[in-house]
Amino acid sequence: MKPLALAILLAGAAMPAAAESHPEARRVLSIGGSLTEIVYALGEEGRLVGRDTTSNWPPEANSLPDIGYMRALSPEGVLSVAPDLILAEEGAGPPEAVAVLKSAGLPYVNVAEDYDAEGVLKKVDAVAETLGVPDKGKALHDRLAADLASVAERARAVGEPKRVLFVLSLQGGRVMAGGDGTAADGIIRLAGAQNALEGVKGYKPLTDEAIVKAAPDVILMMQRGDAEADADANGGSNHAAAKETALALPALAQTPAGRDGALVIMDGLKLLGFGPRTGEAALELHDLVYGAR
Amino acid sequence: MSLIAQEISVMLGRKQVLAGVSFAAEAGRLTAIVGPNGSGKTTLMRALTGDLPCNGRVTLGGREIATMTPEILARRRGVLQQATALSFPFTVAEVVRIGIETRGERADALVSAALAAVDLAGFSGRLYQHLSGGEQQRVQLARVLAQVWQPLDDEGARWLMLDEPVSSLDIAHQLTVMRLAADYARRGGGVIAVMHDLNLTALLADHVVLLAAGEVLAQGSPAEVFTDTLLSRAYGCNLQVNTAPRDGVWILPQVAGLTAA
Amino acid sequence: MATLSQAMPRLAGDRSQRARRTSAVLVVLLILIAFLSLGWGASGTSLPRAISDLLAGRELAVQDRVVLLDIRLPRLLMGMLVGASLAVSGALLQGLFRNPLADPGIVGVSSGATLGAILAIVLGASLPGPLAGLFGWYQVPIAAFTGSWITTMLLYRIATRDGRTSVGTMLLAGIALGAIFSAFAGVLILRANDSQLRDLTFWGLGSLAGANWPKLATAGPVMLAALAAAPLLARGLNALALGEAAAGHVGIRVQRVKNRAILVVAAGTGAAVAVSGGIGFVGIVVPHLLRLASGPDHRWLLVNSALLGAVMLLLADMISRTLITPAELPIGIVTAMIGGPFFLWILLRNRGVLDL
Repeated sequence: MKPLALAILLAGAAMPAAAESHPEARRVLSIGGSLTEIVYALGEEGRLVGRDTTSNWPPEANSLPDIGYMRALSPEGVLSVAPDLILAEEGAGPPEAVAVLKSAGLPYVNVAEDYDAEGVLKKVDAVAETLGVPDKGKALHDRLAADLASVAERARAVGEPKRVLFVLSLQGGRVMAGGDGTAADGIIRLAGAQNALEGVKGYKPLTDEAIVKAAPDVILMMQRGDAEADADANGGSNHAAAKETALALPALAQTPAGRDGALVIMDGLKLLGFGPRTGEAALELHDLVYGAR
Repeated sequence: MSLIAQEISVMLGRKQVLAGVSFAAEAGRLTAIVGPNGSGKTTLMRALTGDLPCNGRVTLGGREIATMTPEILARRRGVLQQATALSFPFTVAEVVRIGIETRGERADALVSAALAAVDLAGFSGRLYQHLSGGEQQRVQLARVLAQVWQPLDDEGARWLMLDEPVSSLDIAHQLTVMRLAADYARRGGGVIAVMHDLNLTALLADHVVLLAAGEVLAQGSPAEVFTDTLLSRAYGCNLQVNTAPRDGVWILPQVAGLTAA
Repeated sequence: MATLSQAMPRLAGDRSQRARRTSAVLVVLLILIAFLSLGWGASGTSLPRAISDLLAGRELAVQDRVVLLDIRLPRLLMGMLVGASLAVSGALLQGLFRNPLADPGIVGVSSGATLGAILAIVLGASLPGPLAGLFGWYQVPIAAFTGSWITTMLLYRIATRDGRTSVGTMLLAGIALGAIFSAFAGVLILRANDSQLRDLTFWGLGSLAGANWPKLATAGPVMLAALAAAPLLARGLNALALGEAAAGHVGIRVQRVKNRAILVVAAGTGAAVAVSGGIGFVGIVVPHLLRLASGPDHRWLLVNSALLGAVMLLLADMISRTLITPAELPIGIVTAMIGGPFFLWILLRNRGVLDL
């Protein structure tokens, strides 16, 4: 009897935990910008009662109560919006707060984060399953999968992938760029380009030589906030100004991107959020990098 | 009950500040240590209070002070240093209370009595920081007096060790303080004071120790120690000892064109 | 000379009665604020209702129980202990350095704790499995506490020669050590990723939101021990105000007082910072206010500092929980926002009193 029980136990531990489904949950707290976006994309925003600071899209999300920064949650603050389900991106914390929330009997669903096509689709599936809306989930999944397939096709059609360098910030003249394992790296690959920064993990400040060695063909930066509205309102002048400042930096000016004036600016959450707009973002990025067709 | 210094020698850096200083100060008498700047007076006082480790022995009432704990020493002697600045807004009463071991009403009474003795009755509520230098010095003296209020107790005489106690005071208060010290001695306590003012010393001291260049040049009564030759040798200038018509002695440096004679 | 046997009226300049009254007021205030803290929070759990439930023999709703017993109560106790520890440490160090501006950071507690926290935050993830499992969630507090201890002991060793500690040397060495630590921290920050940097920033801002029973069980006794030991140093610190030589003359063992004061500060502040991050101003504002109110006599100052420190931190915590609800403001921001201008105002009004 013992060995059998042990085997069953081990088998149980090896299987992925069955995802929980809460179709009855009416007061959902969404922690993590991409998860909030997915909830809206699924049309289930009516069930949301709260969000975190990083959930800024769509704009309507901003009117939901904000429970603070997702890595510094306050248990009582979370409880104050009286949620009956918590959807959280991987990395929400601190762990003590999460433990308290769970001990209060709240369903807490952790959604994994992976910066590639599969990862985004899995996220959508997980959220849909948790909310108990498999049909809507499938529809969104398929739409997103189609977008991603389309980008993948275009990427395959490209001969020599262009080298793209994602610049997070230019604070004090230092170039902070995205290396391996970052969301930036993920979206660049999805768009069919190559991350110009090789052999570096995470976001790091680069020396001038490293930038020259990276020799990016295109520089990618993000615009925080409502980039499209900004660009429309000012006839794109915001971007133009940003372009000038960035490419004026001597290190960047000497790169192929600098010489060609190839600077692309896209909305931050859309670009890096790895949510429902990721397919769209990858397509847009591809077109901006390789020229629209 | 004496304070005996035996062969006190102190090296500070490479300088021999004190070399073989020996003397005895008796309870019931006011002993003064005088000498020019740099003669080692303050260093000697620090050795006597137990602050400075030195070669030689210092005994208080037969016991070596090096063997006495700070608590025991505090019961046998009180030390008044030169200027004390406080960084916190203590009242005069609070300052005087530091070092008093009794509490409650007895302590209050002691504080009042000590302040009255230094002619600062009514000052107990004032902030120490707002007092003049002279007043602050008298508050410190009140504190020290309160610490060893009874000059004699079952263990013997207690001592007042004063390092230039009247330097910042006007002449009236100089006399008040020195009379207090003399009175303490008269009631059986021991008093040893480093003094700058030779006149005041001559007026009130019973025993004088004259230091020069880290050595004892002479010791004895003021009359024995304050001679023209000894003083001139110690201070390195021509000094003439004169006697006033009434009680007292004053010393004037001999400067051409200024002396009466 | 006046005789001692006459009954004397209350001595002018003796502020002990005023200080005792202050203590009484502070105790009452503390109890009031403690109940307020327990009874109010973002989640709407109400203490009176919970008490009436209990009295009626009904079980508390799960959420109410969690909020009251697992969130608010540990937070209340933590806030009191941290506030008291920081304030008392400030008073102790000010007495030791004979300077009203001395702050627990001077003995290296803060820079050591911060370096420990940075190490844990940035390198903690790369610890081998078993080690990481050993500390679990508490890597940061443990590292912070260890860091603060090591730094304080290091500074103490540097500043102590022939059994005598020079507070001046300690101050200067602390500055030097702080510079070295900043350099190390800089290197680690370079390695840090975005989330780690955010974590670090939040740690530096301080928060009581992470208070729970395990943290209380470990840090609590340390802080309590420090708080209990502090008042015993009162006489010594009073005497030290006269200068080290004079303190020795009135019978105080100066080196012993220094050793104990540094130990108490290292323990109390170390534990406080470890579990609540960087909370500033309490150590300076609280003792200062009390000196203005009832004098610098350490016999009352230390006790009252503990009380007022607890009150102040609980008040700050209530503000941090209220201002941007349902989110929370890190408490270090509140103490700085209130403490800073308040301190400035106090200084301007009392320029004559403190001759700095």
